[in-house]
Amino acid sequence: MSNRRISDTEFRMNRRTAVRIGGAGLLGGLTLPRLLELQSTAAAPQPAKAKSCIFFMLEGGPSHIDMWDLKPGAPAEIRGPYQPISTAVAGTQIGELLPMTAGIVDKFTILRSHSHADNAHQTGRHWVLTGYPPSFADGQAQGMPFNALYPSIGSIVARELGQRGAVPPYVEMPNPLGPGGPGFYGAKYAPFTIDNDPVQADFKVRDLTTTSEVDGDRYERRKQLLQDAEALGASDDATGPAKQMTDFYEQAMTLVSSPEASRAFDLSVESDEMRERYGYTSIGQCALLGRRLVEADCRFVGITHGSWDTHVDNFTSHEKTLVPPTDRALTTLLTDLDDRGLLDETLVVVMGEMGRTPRINKDAGRDHWSMCQSVILAGGGIKRGAVIGASDETASYPTTQPYGIHDLLQTLFYLMGVDANKIHHTPLGRPVPIVSGGHRIDEVLA
Amino acid sequence: MRVGFLTILAVAQLAVVSAAADAPALRVHPERVTLRRPESSSQVLVFGKSPESGNFDATRLVTFRIDDPSIAEVLPGGRVLPRADGETIAHAELDGQSVPFPVLVTGQANPPPVSFRGDVLPVLTKAGCNSGGCHGKAEGQNGFKLSVFAFDAKFDFAAIVQEARGRRVRTTAAAQSLFLRKATGETPHGGGRRIEPGGDWYRLIKRWIEEGAALDEATPESAVRLRVEPAEILVDSQTTQQLRVTLVAADGSETCVTTGADYQSNAEAIAAVDETGLVTSTEIPGEAAILVRYMGHVGVSRLTHARPESDFTRPPQNNFIDRLVWDKLEKLGIAASPPASEAVFLRRVYLDTTGTLPTPEEVQQYLEDRAPDKRSGLVAGLLDRSEYADYWAQKWADLLRVDRNVITSQGAVAMTRWLREQIETNRPYDEFARDIVMADGRSMDENPAAFYVAHQDAEAASRAVSQLFLGVRIECAECHHHPFEKWGQADYYALAGFFTGVERRDSPLGGKKIVGGPGQDLLHPRTGETVAAAALDAPPVEFEPLADRRTAFADWMTASDNPFFARTIANRIWAHYLGRGLFEPVDDLRATNPASNEPLLDALAAYLIEVDYDVKQLTQTILESRVYQLSSATTESNRLDDQNYSRAAWKPLPAEVLLDAITAATGVSHDFDGMPAGLRAIELWDSRLPANFFQVFGRPVRQSVCACERGVEPSMAQALHLMNSEETSAKIRDRRGRAAELAASSLSNEQIVDQLYLAALSRFPSDDERRLMTSVFTQLESSGTADPRRTATEDVLWTLLNTKEFAFNH
Repeated sequence: MSNRRISDTEFRMNRRTAVRIGGAGLLGGLTLPRLLELQSTAAAPQPAKAKSCIFFMLEGGPSHIDMWDLKPGAPAEIRGPYQPISTAVAGTQIGELLPMTAGIVDKFTILRSHSHADNAHQTGRHWVLTGYPPSFADGQAQGMPFNALYPSIGSIVARELGQRGAVPPYVEMPNPLGPGGPGFYGAKYAPFTIDNDPVQADFKVRDLTTTSEVDGDRYERRKQLLQDAEALGASDDATGPAKQMTDFYEQAMTLVSSPEASRAFDLSVESDEMRERYGYTSIGQCALLGRRLVEADCRFVGITHGSWDTHVDNFTSHEKTLVPPTDRALTTLLTDLDDRGLLDETLVVVMGEMGRTPRINKDAGRDHWSMCQSVILAGGGIKRGAVIGASDETASYPTTQPYGIHDLLQTLFYLMGVDANKIHHTPLGRPVPIVSGGHRIDEVLA
Repeated sequence: MRVGFLTILAVAQLAVVSAAADAPALRVHPERVTLRRPESSSQVLVFGKSPESGNFDATRLVTFRIDDPSIAEVLPGGRVLPRADGETIAHAELDGQSVPFPVLVTGQANPPPVSFRGDVLPVLTKAGCNSGGCHGKAEGQNGFKLSVFAFDAKFDFAAIVQEARGRRVRTTAAAQSLFLRKATGETPHGGGRRIEPGGDWYRLIKRWIEEGAALDEATPESAVRLRVEPAEILVDSQTTQQLRVTLVAADGSETCVTTGADYQSNAEAIAAVDETGLVTSTEIPGEAAILVRYMGHVGVSRLTHARPESDFTRPPQNNFIDRLVWDKLEKLGIAASPPASEAVFLRRVYLDTTGTLPTPEEVQQYLEDRAPDKRSGLVAGLLDRSEYADYWAQKWADLLRVDRNVITSQGAVAMTRWLREQIETNRPYDEFARDIVMADGRSMDENPAAFYVAHQDAEAASRAVSQLFLGVRIECAECHHHPFEKWGQADYYALAGFFTGVERRDSPLGGKKIVGGPGQDLLHPRTGETVAAAALDAPPVEFEPLADRRTAFADWMTASDNPFFARTIANRIWAHYLGRGLFEPVDDLRATNPASNEPLLDALAAYLIEVDYDVKQLTQTILESRVYQLSSATTESNRLDDQNYSRAAWKPLPAEVLLDAITAATGVSHDFDGMPAGLRAIELWDSRLPANFFQVFGRPVRQSVCACERGVEPSMAQALHLMNSEETSAKIRDRRGRAAELAASSLSNEQIVDQLYLAALSRFPSDDERRLMTSVFTQLESSGTADPRRTATEDVLWTLLNTKEFAFNH
C-alpha cells in the first residue's frame, strides 16, 4: 500500500531517478527490496550484446542491385552486367564484384528490405544518422557537422554509454560524417574527428600528438610547467566551466600520454601483411584503424567512404574504384574481428543514405533510390549467415516487411544497451526521444 | 539524498531530546480533511516548531493514527485515503504531542461520475502518456495520438473512445479495455507500465469506462487557480518540505491535487522536488522556485536557503546595482568576494566590451595611471572603440540569423554593416528593435530587411520577434499550451496576426524586397475561428484598413509599460557582462521562471527606460558597479553560490574572441579562407566559413534566434587543440611572431617572461611565477639545447596559452 505513489508512476526510470526516489522514498515507506528492484530495473534496461559499433556510411548510395540483391531474371536495362555468385552459405548469392565477401557470408546478415522516403544526399544522410528529418532542403546544408539540432548515432552512444577505455568514445574518420555531430547535446558529445586519411603515408591524427618541433622531453617540460603555472596563477581557483576544463585537460593529457591510446591510433605497429590484407585504400586502412580503436574500447567508430553517387558510368565506378576496396576491407575486418573474438561484441553496419535506381539511365548510370537498399549487419548479436527480407523482381521495393531507419536504430541501440525511448530535452524544452518510433528488427537478431 | 535522509533523522532526534524540556508545537494543515470520491486523496502538512530547531516540516516525522481505519487511512508521509462513507478523527503524533484532525468521507457508496475532462485527462498528463516524447508528439506513437498535455479534450476523447473501431475501451468489460491494459503493461506496451493495476488511477479510469466512457460537457473554466502551500519555504541544508497543492474553483470549493500535479525546480542545484511534491534542499544556499503544473494551471512555491552562519558584511556601494545585490546577499547570509585587482579588472572589461585583449602597452599604461576614477574612464573609452561595434554586431548577427545560405553573402555583409552602424552610433535600443520589426526595402541593402527573408512567414517572424525582444518562447504554443507557461494557441495566432501583411517580393536587383502592408487575422487551427491580432496579455487591435499592422505591434512593444521588452534586453546585457542572466535562459521570461533577483531586474529595466534605452549608458552603469568589479576568487562563504553575483564568474571566451586572443598573444594573424588578410575573427560576417577552430570551439550557425546556439561547454577536443594543434603551434613558433621577436631582443629573461604575461594574461607575473618561468631559460641554457632562449620563450608562451586564465574571462 505504502509504495503505491512510487509504483504508479515510475516504471521507466534511469538509475539517477531510481536513486532519487530511493532517498526520498525511504521516508515515505518505500521498502528496501522494492528499492533494489527499481534500481536493478533502471541499471540494466537491456542486456548489451555489442560493446562497440563500427558504422560505414557509403556516401552517395551504393548500388544494391549490383552488389547484394542481384536480379538476373530482370530485363537487361535493369539487371546490369553482373552475375550472382554462390557464397559460403548454400542458397545465398551475392554479386560477382564481391568475391572475397562471398567467402564469409556466413559471418553476417544481409537485410534486403530497408526502405525510406528521403531520396536526397544531405537530407537522407541526416535521416539515416540521426533518425530525424532535417530542417534544411537538400544541398542547403553547409558547414560541418550539419545536424544542428538532432544528435547523431555516435553522439547518442557517447552520451549514453560514455567512455570505456583510453580513447574517446566516438571517433569519426577519415572526414566528418556530415550529420555526425552532437546536435543539441553540445560539444561534449561531439565526435573526435581524425580529419586525415589513414592511407596517407604521413598519416597523423589531428591534435592527438604534439607537433614536430615538440619532442617528448619538451612536451614533458611544458606539461610540468603548465601544472606549476596553474597552481600559482588564478586558474587554481576556477569555478564553473573553467573547473570542468581542468578535467578535460587531464583527459587530454592522459590521451596524449597514454600508450594504449597512441597505440590504438598508430597503424605503423600493424604488420605490412595485415595492412595489405585490409588493403592500402582509404576504406581499408580506416577499417583497420576502426578495429584497433574497438580493441581499445572505443564505443562508436564512424567511417565515411565515397563517392557512391554513380549517376554516370555506374558500372565502371563500382567495378574499378568502389567495390573492390570495400570487398577487401569488409571481408578482412569481419574475419579479423572474428579471429580475435571481437565480432560477437562488435556491431558492424554498412549502408548508404540510399540505394540506386534499378533502371539504368542513358549515361550508363544509376540514380538515387531510397525505396530499396541492402544493409549489411554483422556481429554484436546479429545473426550469422542470414538473408533477411526480399525485394521485388526489379529490386525496386521490398516484398517483405519494409524496415526503415527507425527500425534499424531501434535494433542498433537495443544491441548496444541504449534505451531508445529515453528522452532528452532541447534548449527550448522540447522532449526528443532517442528514437522516435520504429520497432526492433527481431529477425536479424541471433 | 542519502545525506538528506540522515540529516532529517538528526532533526528528529533533536526534537525527541527536546521533548523533555520543551516539546515541539505541532500544527496540521488543513485542519479538516474532506474526501468526496473513492479515488480522492488529500495531502496533509504537519508544521513543527521548537525553540531548538525553529520551524520545521514534521509531515514525515510524525506518526499518524486514525480512530476508525474502516473509514479512512493515513499513509506515512501524510496522504489521507478514503475507505468508506463516514466521519472519524485522525491524529498526528510526535514525541508525546498529538494533534487531532477530523476526516469526512463521502461519495464512496454512491460516487459522483468520473469526468473525462476533469479526472481522466490529468491522469494521462501526470503518467506522461500525452507528453511530447510519447503519444503527444505530432505523429503520435504506434498509431495512437493524444493532444500534447491534453489541450484538446475532444480530440483525445475521439482517439481513446472512437478510433481503432472502438476497441480501446469496452464499457461492458472495462478491465479488458486495451486503453487500460496498455497503460498497465498487461498488454505489451512500448512505454512500459504507466499505471499500477488496482491503484487510484486505474480505478478512476476503470470507473469512467464502466460509467459509459462519456465525454462530459466543457464547463466554463470552473477552476480559477492553483494554491501551493507553503508558498514560501525557509530551509536549512539538506532538509525536506512536503508541498500541498489545491485546485480552487470559482465557487470556492477546493480539491487537493497534490498527487496529480507535476513539479519542477528551476534550480536543481539548490532544491530538488520529486513527483509527490516533496522538496529537498541541497547543501548549497540560495533560492529556488518550485513550479507546479496541473491541467493548464501553474503555481509556484519559493524556497530560500540561507547560510546558517551569516558572515555578510555590507561592502560599499557604487550604485543601485550594488545596493540590490548586497540586499540579496544579506538575506542569504553570503559574503561577497573582495574587489578584483586593477589588472584583472582591465582584462575583464576589455574582453567583455570589445572581445579584445589589451596590448602589453595598454596594460602597463593603465596600471601606472594614478587617476582615482580611472576605471570609469577606461569603460567610457572602450565603449567608443570600433571593436565594441564589431563584437556586438557579431553578437546581434548571431541572433538575427545573418546566414549567407539564407540571405545571400551580399545580404549578410549588408546586414552586418547595418548592425555595426547601429551599435557604433549607440542607437537607442527601442528604435533599433523597432527598425527590425518594421524592416522594409531590399534585403541586399544596408538595412534589417533580411530579417524577413530569414523568417519567411508571419508565424516564423512573430516567433522570432517574441523570443528575441520579449523573451517569450511562444514557439511551443504553436501546437499546444506551453507547460509551465500561460500562452496557448490563441495567443500564438493572435501575435502572428501582426505580421501577415509583410510581403517578400523578388527584387529585380537580386534578393528580396520587403514591403509592409495590411494583413489579415489568422485562423485557430483547432477551432477554425478567426483569432484577432493581439499582443501578449493585450486586447485585440483595431486596424485602419490599409495600415501596416506591425506599427501597432511596435508601439505596444516599445511602450514604457511593456512588461517584457526592457526586462529582456536588460537581462541580456546583464548576462553578457556577469556571465549569468538574472533569469536563464535569457530568452525565457515567464512568471514560472522568476529572476534570481527580481528587484534588480526591475531596477535595471526601469533605468534603461529612464535613460531612453541608451545601451552604452546601461553598460557603463553595470561596469561601474562594485558587483561587476568583484574578484572571481571564492571565499568560504560564497564558494557554493552561483546565482547571486557574490563573485565574478569564469566566462569561457567565445570561439572568435579566443582565436583573436591567440592571434594577439602570439603576434601572428589568422588567415581565413577568402577573407582579407588581418581580418579579426570578431569581424567575420560569414557564419558558414569552414575553420577547424570553430568546429572545435563551437560557433552559432545562425539557424534560430535562440541564444543557446552558442554552446559554451568545454570539451576534451578543445584542450587537445590548444595543446597540440598545428595552427596554434605554428603561431607560437612563427619566425615573425612574438616569441621569436622577444627571444631575439636584448631583453633579459625576466623581462621576456613579463612581456609574455602581459601579452597573454594582461598582467605581470608574481615573483613566484617569474621565478618558475625564468628557470626554464636557465635550465635550457645549461643543457646545450640549440637556441635555448627561443625554445624557452616558446615554451612559456605555450604554457600561458594553455592556462584556464587565458581561455576564460574571470
